[in-house]
Amino acid sequence: MDRAGTRHSPFVEYIGARREEMGEGFARLSITIGPQHTNPNGVMHGGVVTAMMDSAIGGALGALRGGDARQRPHATIEMNTSFLAAARPGDEVVVEGRVIQLGRTVAFAEAEARRRGDGALIARGRLTFAIASPRTPRPAHGEALEP
Amino acid sequence: MQPEEHRQSLFVELIGGKLEEWRQGYVRLSLLVEARHTNPNGVMHGGVITTLMDECLGGVIASVRGMEAMWAEPHATVELSVSFMSGARPGDDIIVEGRVLKVGRTVAFGEVEARRRGEDDLIAKGHGTFTILKRGA
Repeated sequence: MDRAGTRHSPFVEYIGARREEMGEGFARLSITIGPQHTNPNGVMHGGVVTAMMDSAIGGALGALRGGDARQRPHATIEMNTSFLAAARPGDEVVVEGRVIQLGRTVAFAEAEARRRGDGALIARGRLTFAIASPRTPRPAHGEALEP
Repeated sequence: MQPEEHRQSLFVELIGGKLEEWRQGYVRLSLLVEARHTNPNGVMHGGVITTLMDECLGGVIASVRGMEAMWAEPHATVELSVSFMSGARPGDDIIVEGRVLKVGRTVAFGEVEARRRGEDDLIAKGHGTFTILKRGA
């Protein structure tokens, strides 16, 4: 747990993304694009923003769900991303994610990636998460329950 | 065309993805999941798979278009849709295989699947749409 009360995501830290805000149902991450984030066309790889969108929503949903998220973890099941414009080395990209609806078994969210400064829309994403079922004891065929 | 003739993305190199096979209409990448690839739940971050899928789709479309056409008129992802069906953990050996559905004059479509090596069950399935950028347009 860090100061924001949320847990670290090794992958987004590894790629160099920063967590700017993490609240109940809302999160903002940012990254400064370097050569290591590019594809062979020399522009930002699509994986950079999809990873950040997934993390922003996963964190925003975790903050919204609180302790329940530990008992019943959520996991991405669908992610649809539209790429509207390219980002280049030197650009600072800001990704904001919002939870639209939190249900008992599924949560819906959307995310946007914009260039800091002029606010140009780089990508939009829609994400769906599944929320794990509560663990119920399953006394199968007389076996002992797991501790 | 040999794998070494196709330039891999620096971002895919950063995260440890490897190009294993590259032939016209089929590209396969692989990645050994490590602790750095995880999310706060300790399982593989979804962004690892979306990165490999985007790379694989871009590569397989290049394999059909040919590298000269690709450098003259690069293609870029406009839509990527991914269904995540099961998780992966550190130690898992993931392969991602891409195939082309159609390459048109201005748009190309591909599909891509991620599995643990040697297993039939899908970890994730993706569909990508690319635009072919016209110079000077």
